[in-house]
Amino acid sequence: MKHLALFAAAIALLALAPMVLGGHGLSVMTLTLTNLVLAVGLNLVAGYCGQFSFAQAAFFGIGAYTTAIMSRDLGTGVWINLPAGIIIAGLFGLVLGVPALRVKGHFLAIVTIAFQTVVYLTLVQWTDFTGGQNGILVPGVGETSILGIIRFNVQSLESYYWLTLALAALAIIVAWRLVHSRLGREWIAVRDDETLAQAVGVNTTTTKLSAFVASAAFAGAAGALNAYTMRTAAPDDFTIFISSIILAIMILGGKGTFLGPIVGAFILTIIPESLGEFSRYKMLFFGVLLILTITFLPGGIMQLVRNARTRRA
Amino acid sequence: MDLFLQYLANGIVVGSSYVLVAVGLTLIFGILGIVNFARGEFYMLGGFAGIGLATVLGLPLIVSLLGVVAFAALLGFLAEQILNRQVKDKDPTNSIVSSFGLAVVLQNAALLVIGPQPMLLRTDLSMVPVEIGPVYLPLQRALIPVAMIVLVGALHLLLRHTWVGMSLRAMAQQPTVARMCGIRVSRVAIVTFMTGAVFAGVAGFLMSSVFMVHPLIGNMIVLKAFTVVILGGMGSVTGAAAAGLMLGLVESMTSAYLGNGLRDIVGFLMVVIVLLAWPQGIFGRNLERS
Repeated sequence: MKHLALFAAAIALLALAPMVLGGHGLSVMTLTLTNLVLAVGLNLVAGYCGQFSFAQAAFFGIGAYTTAIMSRDLGTGVWINLPAGIIIAGLFGLVLGVPALRVKGHFLAIVTIAFQTVVYLTLVQWTDFTGGQNGILVPGVGETSILGIIRFNVQSLESYYWLTLALAALAIIVAWRLVHSRLGREWIAVRDDETLAQAVGVNTTTTKLSAFVASAAFAGAAGALNAYTMRTAAPDDFTIFISSIILAIMILGGKGTFLGPIVGAFILTIIPESLGEFSRYKMLFFGVLLILTITFLPGGIMQLVRNARTRRA
Repeated sequence: MDLFLQYLANGIVVGSSYVLVAVGLTLIFGILGIVNFARGEFYMLGGFAGIGLATVLGLPLIVSLLGVVAFAALLGFLAEQILNRQVKDKDPTNSIVSSFGLAVVLQNAALLVIGPQPMLLRTDLSMVPVEIGPVYLPLQRALIPVAMIVLVGALHLLLRHTWVGMSLRAMAQQPTVARMCGIRVSRVAIVTFMTGAVFAGVAGFLMSSVFMVHPLIGNMIVLKAFTVVILGGMGSVTGAAAAGLMLGLVESMTSAYLGNGLRDIVGFLMVVIVLLAWPQGIFGRNLERS
């Protein structure tokens, strides 16, 4: 109950952000929440199930292009595109998961990077379908309603922010339910000792595949909504660099902890975006941070928190 | 038929550079069990260093080559300090993340210092034609497979017949026993990293006359190297050599007969197929892929 109250309070507080923040601040917050969904999703497969993935940006892109292509060719609205983005990204998660089952460690990292690159190259080169390097323009969400009852108009920056906040809140709840379910415990079992997990009757194949699909589905949701927020889907937003940012967020926060990627998303989105004239050093900053964190603090910020707690106890 | 032979020659040139980058990767993995994602950046920096020495400073090619070798060896030394010394005994995924971070740092440092402008190495040798039957190559390109054969041959001799090579192979087979026999493990690690970096740097220098060098080129190169290593079998130098040439040829034929857009994708498709069909690589021995 304590967790739920804190969570509700945090969401309520964040929902009030447009009252104090200007246009730039609000865009940064929207980006923060998008990164949060991506990192929480990555944490499911990499943190809990122990299957490293450099492909989160690819699934992010698949979600975004689902929105863009469906709006363009079918004229569907957000309530169809968002679930479609989640499902299609999840299916691609399965496509990556099947070959990834055969490999571990370094090889897995390579396979996910290869997948990320193939998706990027396809987005760039299949010009007829994806619009090539220029991408596809996406119409705004506009006037819409939930089941025809609650009507609202998503046009302003604030309304996109609230929509992203709603998605982030939903993602956190779903992730919480997942990692505290039987499936979540099976992920942890596979991460900690695959042979042992197999010996006690865990089906490691479906367990790993489900982690890949769940992680991809989170990224697909973030992408499907982000395409609306950005009003465009273009390949350069889905490169391996974006994957590395998501990875840095998860690692700095603390992989395999529930709060880690959430804390990481706030720190690693807000600090680089407020660098101002130094923003061209942003990627350099991520790279150095990635090396320093993994070398000196592999458990991330949550490890510091845990250390402080045990010392006090 | 004449065109086919020309594509074949082009494939061998490009494949030779893949061999050079992949050999270092497979060497470091075989001996230290570490995968270095920053290899593509050694290639990129080798290319820029070579262009700086040969084109900007106007030094003779052989002097530039030696400069690139020294520079790449220094890079390898520094990389070993960051990737091996610090994270060696912890989780193996840590070295993946760490080397990935190093790759991002080097790319962005190059972007800031050198700028995004692609550069090409121009030398007098690019004007000298070499014609073998219907195949035409500028001398500069024809020298790339030659350099590859010389370097891989030298590595082979080094590994087989010298004291350093024997300790490297001992490390690859049984690190603990090697340490007990008095091999200085830390020195072996440095030598391995430096050798790997020199191979990648020289490849970058040689290829800077064929493909433009730019700060982000390493991404693609490191993926090619991984493709080669997966196809050839991790840890196998011979496998890397064969698979590197094969990848170069397949790519050349794909871009000639199926379309240039598919060129970079075909390698990854091969990787997926190989992983599903022969998880140890086509030329690999049985070892767990972890």
